[in-house]
Amino acid sequence: MANDGGRRSIREGLLIGPLDDLAQVHLCGSVCKTCGETSLGVSEICPNCGGVDLARKALADEGTLWTYTVVRHKPPGNYHGPDPFKPFGLGLVELPDGLRVMAPIEADIDSLAIGMPLRIRPYVLRTEDAGREVVAFAYRAA
Amino acid sequence: MSDVYILGAGIHPFGRFDKSYEAIGSEAAGDALRDAGVAWRDIQAAYLSRMYLPATSGARILRRLGGTDIPIVDIEAACASGGAALRQAVLAIRSGEVDLALVCGVEKMPRGFMDPSMIYAPWQIELGMSMNPSYWSMRAMRHMHEFGTTELQIAKVAYKNHRNSVHNPNAMYRKPFSIEEILASPMVCDPIRLLEICAPNDGAAAVVVASEKKARELGAREIRIAAVSHTIARYSADFRCPADSMSATANNPGPTEVTAHQAFAQAGMSPTDIDCFEVQDTDAFCEVEIYEELGLCPLGEAGRLIDEGATEIGGRFPVNMSGGLISKGEPVGASHLGQVVELVSQLRGQSGPRQVEGARVGLAHVLGAGGNCAVTILQA
Repeated sequence: MANDGGRRSIREGLLIGPLDDLAQVHLCGSVCKTCGETSLGVSEICPNCGGVDLARKALADEGTLWTYTVVRHKPPGNYHGPDPFKPFGLGLVELPDGLRVMAPIEADIDSLAIGMPLRIRPYVLRTEDAGREVVAFAYRAA
Repeated sequence: MSDVYILGAGIHPFGRFDKSYEAIGSEAAGDALRDAGVAWRDIQAAYLSRMYLPATSGARILRRLGGTDIPIVDIEAACASGGAALRQAVLAIRSGEVDLALVCGVEKMPRGFMDPSMIYAPWQIELGMSMNPSYWSMRAMRHMHEFGTTELQIAKVAYKNHRNSVHNPNAMYRKPFSIEEILASPMVCDPIRLLEICAPNDGAAAVVVASEKKARELGAREIRIAAVSHTIARYSADFRCPADSMSATANNPGPTEVTAHQAFAQAGMSPTDIDCFEVQDTDAFCEVEIYEELGLCPLGEAGRLIDEGATEIGGRFPVNMSGGLISKGEPVGASHLGQVVELVSQLRGQSGPRQVEGARVGLAHVLGAGGNCAVTILQA
């Protein structure tokens, strides 16, 4: 098991690599050996064809902005962004692996443009009561 | 397949009321029964569509009409709940077991953005990916990029629907807004603005449906259900909440296209056979996209359709004569049946200033979370 340095991924199976060294952390994908589709995170069953022969892989760290929006109001529920709220970019990042991943885009909201090159940034979002750090991800201009 | 008819329709206005969901729902159901001229004790099965109400809401609501031992089932399929419920009633009748059924959609929802825990995983909520309008907006942004659709064209849809709502006593907002006012309203998620999105609220709508035999017996074969179809989006065919990613290689047709195709096949019709449409306008762009997916125009040309005024009352394809969800609000479980009630009124020629002249065939469409989509076609 990779050294997690007392950290956990915000969603189980979303990240691959040692969580105590964020420079080596990537998004995790599952490649279906039956249909060839790559899906986000660790899967036991291909969400496209239902195949059960899947391989894990580290997804590319760089991609391009396929579409985006600017969230202008604080999202409802247990949102963990800056306080006071600051409007932020949210987009679908197209990766060369053949999928588009939804993620916060850490860039000046006025600079957002479809096609802009982006690079993943894993980061510690918060510390849980037990002292364990929660690792999330976002993208910023490459 | 045997024919199924709508004998009567009832609606409780959509809005915000200091009133229980049981009261709102039972009023709409009672109105539908009276409109049909049918007694509650003659109904053999009932289907209640809702998303945000507690367990056994159907029984809690409909018991107010009198004691009964019929099966009452709650049905949930996000924004398509009403279509899913109507489909169950139609199937029950076609099975031959039931001749008369009641379908009722009810919702009572808090003001503001919907409770994200109903739809999203906790990690999506923490990262701010849990606002429904952000999904719609990303689709709009991409459409604008690929096809040159403009913010003005999107605003024109909201303008049309707000203006139509003035004549609908069952709508929550009945105020016309100018294009300038719409484009000056606050941005919610770029490029979608406050006057271009619908609000969750309270409301109910109901219909009484019958087998051909029963409808004939009652001399009530005025409105036939020509089709009712419900599907969920195929793999990666639709980017809608709570998706966290999508395929860049799969090329499946979207849920509206698939569901409408099924409905047109059932009805033996094509888009040009439809006289009036009520479609999902959770936001103004959603309606734009649906024009293309229903086949009212080729992909990428919806903006031109709007500029031509084709979807106005009096146009080639009148859409959302009721004012749409943008002005009615979206009580999720009730929205599709609300559309069906509007179509019944249109096909009966009872819609007053928002009447589509000579309407004989109407189509209702809903689309929401998980790519749940329902299409109903009614024929007079």
